[in-house]
Parts: sequence; structure tokens; C-alpha cells
Amino acid sequence: MPDGSNPRTDIGVCLLLIVVCAAVLWETRKIPPGSFEPLGSAPLPQAVAGLIILLCLVVMGRAWLVLARRSERPREDAGFEPRARDAAATIGLTVLYIVAMQLRLTSFAVMTAGFLFATIGLLVRFERRLLPVAAIVALIAGFGCQYVFTRIFVVDLPGL
Amino acid sequence: MTDLLAGLGFVLTPLPLFWCALGTFLGIVVGAIPGLTGAMLIALTLPLTYYMPPTEAVTLLIGMYTGGVTGGLITATLLRMPGTPSNIMTTFDGFPMARAGQPGRALGLGIGASFFGGMLAWVALVLLAKPLSIIATRFGPFEIFTLVMMAMVLIASVSQGSLVKGLISGLLGMLVSMPGVDPSAGQPRLTWDVHQLNSGLKLLPVLIGVFAVSQIIADVVELDRKYERVKIAGKGILMSWRDWKAQAVNLVRSALIGTWVGLLPGVGASIGSVIAYTTAKNMSKTPERFGKGSEEGIVASETANNATVGGALIPLIAMGIPGSVIDAILIGALMIHSIQPGPTLFLTNGDVVWAMIAACLVSTVLMFAIMSASAGLVARVSLLPKGFLLPVIMVFCVVGSFALDNTMFDVWVMLAFGLVGFFLERAKIPLGPFVIGFVLAPLAEAKLRTGLMMTAGSITPMFTRPLSLLFLLIAVVMLIWPLYGEWRRNRGDTRVADETIE
Repeated sequence: MPDGSNPRTDIGVCLLLIVVCAAVLWETRKIPPGSFEPLGSAPLPQAVAGLIILLCLVVMGRAWLVLARRSERPREDAGFEPRARDAAATIGLTVLYIVAMQLRLTSFAVMTAGFLFATIGLLVRFERRLLPVAAIVALIAGFGCQYVFTRIFVVDLPGL
Repeated sequence: MTDLLAGLGFVLTPLPLFWCALGTFLGIVVGAIPGLTGAMLIALTLPLTYYMPPTEAVTLLIGMYTGGVTGGLITATLLRMPGTPSNIMTTFDGFPMARAGQPGRALGLGIGASFFGGMLAWVALVLLAKPLSIIATRFGPFEIFTLVMMAMVLIASVSQGSLVKGLISGLLGMLVSMPGVDPSAGQPRLTWDVHQLNSGLKLLPVLIGVFAVSQIIADVVELDRKYERVKIAGKGILMSWRDWKAQAVNLVRSALIGTWVGLLPGVGASIGSVIAYTTAKNMSKTPERFGKGSEEGIVASETANNATVGGALIPLIAMGIPGSVIDAILIGALMIHSIQPGPTLFLTNGDVVWAMIAACLVSTVLMFAIMSASAGLVARVSLLPKGFLLPVIMVFCVVGSFALDNTMFDVWVMLAFGLVGFFLERAKIPLGPFVIGFVLAPLAEAKLRTGLMMTAGSITPMFTRPLSLLFLLIAVVMLIWPLYGEWRRNRGDTRVADETIE
């Protein structure tokens, strides 16, 4: 692609956007027409969703052309190994952290320290010499955050 | 003048001065860490400002804005890694100069240029903001609607990458702002019967998601990236009188470009820096030195990116239209404090406006002092292990989103938009237009509907009112121009190919 993106990524993201916009268009059918004003609530979301679909089709068309011509750029060597799995695992751990807070499983400090230890451990590849440092950082940050946010900023943190 | 002095008097009292200095310092530090940006820092700090008076909150945030734009200069020069996107052009000349044994001089030129750019833009801010706001009070609904449309097209057309993707991003931002109870009709729309959506998607979780969480995910993917590092010597940080004289024309020209680009709605520091750098190269007597350690290159890039800070505050203060992505976040900050940005801001919240203007000046001076005194120290901070830093930032994201309304729904929204931001970036769909669209769409819709009610459904005034027509024409030109450029390039390529065959 001229902007350096991967045509397959373009197609995937645009397909997703088209699905979202189709859902928006479907939902706007429920909106009754405006009674006191000429425009009403539905036309604008409909127009915006329609335009996005149209533009996504343009991007997908271009991406398909690039793929069809087989002129996709060879993957450049970035000089490092991307850690996509670790990124996915980080999101997974964040989801677990948020669920734990929503269920108020234990105190905010303990949940935060646990999340931090697990995530830092993951990102430093569970190197033995770094794990004690990770534990110390996790404990200080977990209990420190609880103190700062409850005593100074008076936030009602989620947790027991 | 009295108001300005009052604003300066306020910012120079101990507590606001402390917030301004803290903001500037944090901005510099965060800007200096590759992968973290001023926008991310400001989005994460917003929840903490609920507990501050609005004048102090804007002082802190403006300090972060100024510091964030400048801090990236350090890593751009010493690591060949721009701390923020606005420092990319500095990398081209800063790093070669540093590697050639002059890291202190490269940083010194950048710091001096940043200071000059910030000061000149501040003068423009003081001179232009109020007169423009007086003009803007005469805008009717159609003028405001077309102005917002122009801003959307402008940012989409100048965003790096393709125009179509910029437009998709802006429209997506507009769409995301639409769920909730429609203020005109009083009925819910696009809520899918989820009652939490009745109040719409809040700005803060969306911003934290798009700017902070998506960046964390991207940083984890690139965690093993290695940087070549040049160590800094303590000498030669400040620009000499000879340097100031030699660079005078370049400084003024780049500052004016930066201020002008900042003034354009939605266009931020990155574009200002690119235009100033290119202009400096085209006007230079030694263009061949650009990209190999040119002093002019560093000065042009850094002057312009700092000048956009003051320039971009002008449309924000005068019209409530963000001059850059960070200004869109600042609009969110004002809204959190129940302040409605717009042309009447000088009348309704004059103290906040003058505090912003004064903070812009004080933070520029503080930035110069902090950078001159501690660039070497800040350079070391940029090497903090990200494996430890990123999870802690994620905790701040979660707490910041939760603290807004004490609901976990906002935390899920933040996470979802983190993923949205990450995938949009992967597809090279710029995030700037998304945020501008999200912030401006409610204003545009409200004005359009008010205008249509006034004219019984006719859109004719959009084409008959001079300003409204002017904004529309600019939008159309900005839409067509990139397509024309692309067509010309393609035609040129074809001609070259034909000539080669012959």
C-alpha cells in the first residue's frame, strides 16, 4: 500500500469497520423520525456509517489490487522479534485484573500487586534475577497506589 | 493587558507555579521516553485534575503539553528515536550531529530553538486569541457547522498516510460520539438497550484507551527493539550569540510556520515540523547537509514544533476548535470542569483563559531552564526498563478510567478503545482525526440541527452566507488537492516509464 500498511491488515480492519457500521445502520431503524425538527436523530448516524462503509470499500479495493498484482512489499527486517503473543497475554492479564476488580475478589492493593507481578514477569520473560525486583515494584506500586488514590485523591477504588 | 498580568500573577504564585513546573518536568520526561507521548500523559492526568480548581488544572496540563513536545528532542538526538512524533525531523540531523561528537551542541540548538518557537507563538496567542474570539461570536450555526467540517477535512488531508484513511478515522470518531440520549429529541439512540450507553461514551475512557492503552500494546510488541545510544557531554548546551545571529532568519521563519500550522484547526506539531524542515532545506545555501547533521535542520524542526503549541491554543481559546490532538484533550479537561469551550470563553471563564495563556509563557521559560540544566539526566530516564514501566501505566489507565464515575463500564470502554486504537494504527489509520471527530461531532450536529430548525429544513444558507461558503470551499479544496497531487504523481510516473520504454 502507498502508506506502507499491510493490505491484509487493511482488509481485515475495514471488514470489521463495515460490520460495525452495518450494526449501526440496523440500530438506527429503531429511531423514530423527528417530530419537532426537520432532521431527526437518525439521518446523521446513517450518513456517517454509510460514508465509512463507502470509504472502507475504497481502501479494500486498493488493498485487493495490491494483493492481485503481488506487489506487496517484502516484510522489512525490523532488527528485533515482535512480541505479539506477549502483547496478547498482557491484554489477557488486564482483562483478568478488571474482572477481579469488578467481582471485588480482594483488596485493590493485592489485586494490583498481583497483576503487576504477573505482567512485569511476563515482559521480562520471567528472568529469575529480575523476579525479586518485579515483586518489590509490584508491592510498592500496588500498596502505594491504594494509599495515594484513597487518601490523597479520595477515589472509591474497586475492591474489598 | 490587565487580564494578562493577572494571569501571569496567578501562575507565578507558589502552588500554580509548582503545578506548571511539575507539568513541564513530567512532560519532558515522558516525551523523552520513546513510545510515551504528551497526549498519553495528559489523558492519564485528567482524572487527577477533578480535584483541582480549573485554573490550576490547566496550568498543570499546559506545562505537560509544552514539556511533552520538547522532551522528545533528547531521544531524537541521542537515540535516533523520536520521543514523540513531532520530533521525527529532528532525528534526521540531531543524531548524525550527536554521533559526530557534538551531542551537547545538537541538544543546545534544539533547546534554544524550542524556546524561541514557544515564545514567538505565545506572542501570536496573546495578540490573536481575543480578536478572533470576538469575530467568532458572530458565527451562526451554519458557520460553526462548516468550520467543524473544514477542520475534519483539514486534519484528514494532512494526516500522515492516505486521505481516505484520515477521513475514515474522523468519521469513526464522529460515529463513536453519537450513542446516548439525543439532546435535541430526548430519546436514546444507538444504545442497543445497554443502559450505561444512555449517557454516551465518555471522552476520558475513550481518550485513555486510544492514546495510552493502544500505545502500551504497541510498546509491548516492540519491547525488544534496540537503540543505538550516544552519550552526552556536559559542555556546549546553550546556544551562543553567534548561533542566534546565524540562525535568526531560520528561527523566525520556522516559528511563523509552526504558529500558522498550529492555528489551522486539527493540525498539530508533527506537520508544522515537517513543513518548517522542508522549507529550511529548500531555502538553505547548503541543502546537501540536511540529513547529515545540519544545524539548520535541527533548528527548523524544533522551532516549529514548539511554535505549534501556542498556535494551536488560538483556535481552542477563540472558537473551541482544537488546533491539535492534545488540544482536543484539553477541551475534554475544560468540559470535565463544566467549562464549555467556545467564543464566549473569554467572558464566561476569563480567569481560566488567561491562566492558560500565562501558563504557556511560564512553561516555555521553565522548559528552557529544565532542559538546559538536566538534558543529560533526562536522557538516562529514557532508558528506564519498559517491562517495568508499561504494566504500571496500565494500572493508571484502569484507575483513571474508573475514577471518572466509579463505574467499571468505563474501564471496559477504555480497554475496548485501546484495542480499536491499536488496530487502527496497524492499518495506518491515523488516530488524530478520530479524536477530533469524537470531540467536535456533538457540536457540529447540534449546530446543524439548530440551523435547520431556524430555516425550516433548508440548507441554502450554508451556501449563501459568505463565511460558511468560504469554509465549505476550503474543505472541498482540501479534499481535492491530495487526490490531484496523487494523480499528477501517477501521471509523472507513467510518463517516465513511457520514456524509458522508448
